[in-house]
Amino acid sequence: MKITMVKKIFADGSPCKKCGEVEDKMRAAGQLERIDHIVIADESNDQSEGMLLAAEHAVDRAPFFIVERDGEPAKIYTVYFKFVKEVLDAETSEEDEIAEIMNDVDLDFL
Amino acid sequence: MSSITNIVDIDSELATQSPQEILRYALENFDNIAISFSGAEDVVLIDMAYKIRKDIQVFSLDTGRLHAQTYRFIEAVRNHYDIKIDLVMPEAAKVEKLVKEKGLFSFYQDDHKECCGVRKIAPLRKQLLTVDAWITGQRRDQSPGTRAAVPAIQDDKAFARPDDSLTKFNPLANWTSKQVWDYIRANDVPYNELHDEGFVSIGCEPCTRPTGPGQHEREGRWWWEEATMKECGLHAVNISK
Repeated sequence: MKITMVKKIFADGSPCKKCGEVEDKMRAAGQLERIDHIVIADESNDQSEGMLLAAEHAVDRAPFFIVERDGEPAKIYTVYFKFVKEVLDAETSEEDEIAEIMNDVDLDFL
Repeated sequence: MSSITNIVDIDSELATQSPQEILRYALENFDNIAISFSGAEDVVLIDMAYKIRKDIQVFSLDTGRLHAQTYRFIEAVRNHYDIKIDLVMPEAAKVEKLVKEKGLFSFYQDDHKECCGVRKIAPLRKQLLTVDAWITGQRRDQSPGTRAAVPAIQDDKAFARPDDSLTKFNPLANWTSKQVWDYIRANDVPYNELHDEGFVSIGCEPCTRPTGPGQHEREGRWWWEEATMKECGLHAVNISK
């Protein structure tokens, strides 16, 4: 299994806050060691490796994870808690999961 | 259905179709599919879907903080179409804990996320575990900053069951508010009386206010919070294949 993490930097060169938070969380939990390759999606350069991977997998969020297993199509995770639960077999709390969803979902249509 | 290729291909096909055609596609391809009804102008989805399939599943999130007018409207819709509307409620223990610790209006001091997490997201997650697909009233013109790229169909990774997929349809994605209201008037669709009082976007009572001329509808929701762009998106302009 090969795991690639794609994180973003903004066009002005500043880092993506959520990507940093996820990376810190993974580092603290010792999960970063399970990542084989960390790639940057540079919004100022659509040919950067991360932007090309985002285009290839039709992903519009960051960070995201590409999980490749022999003989299977690559699986994409844009939700951190799903990735750590399903791929790294880690425990997550409902509060953390809801907090992550809250950051990504605009709720005025509900 | 849920592979990336499929979803992208289907979306490019549905993107140019009418809301009714998108709904027909959704209802013909999924048996276990539900409409999320907010009690506002997304009632058009119910009207359109009912004309396609009478046994539509509809649910509304009853946060416990909706306007009395919205509760009356939900009941009016239930009677008008003679359909069942599941009112999905938050877990009492979680609401009690939040209120006990922070009071009834903590969202004005913190932000709306904690309260919405308890009253909307947790029950929504539970509800969506029971379906294979859902339908929302999201439109691109509702929030140019965060909703400009809402597709007609998407693979909903946030709410999918573990190791499973959930498909989300947004039939009104390409419609404007005016088109929605033209439809409501042309088809005598019942609507929430709050709209006649200047409310455009309708949510919980403490977090919704009427908007004035020239104001965007999003200014009527969570107006005390800074309107910031979501920063987790990868700007689509840079993601051309």
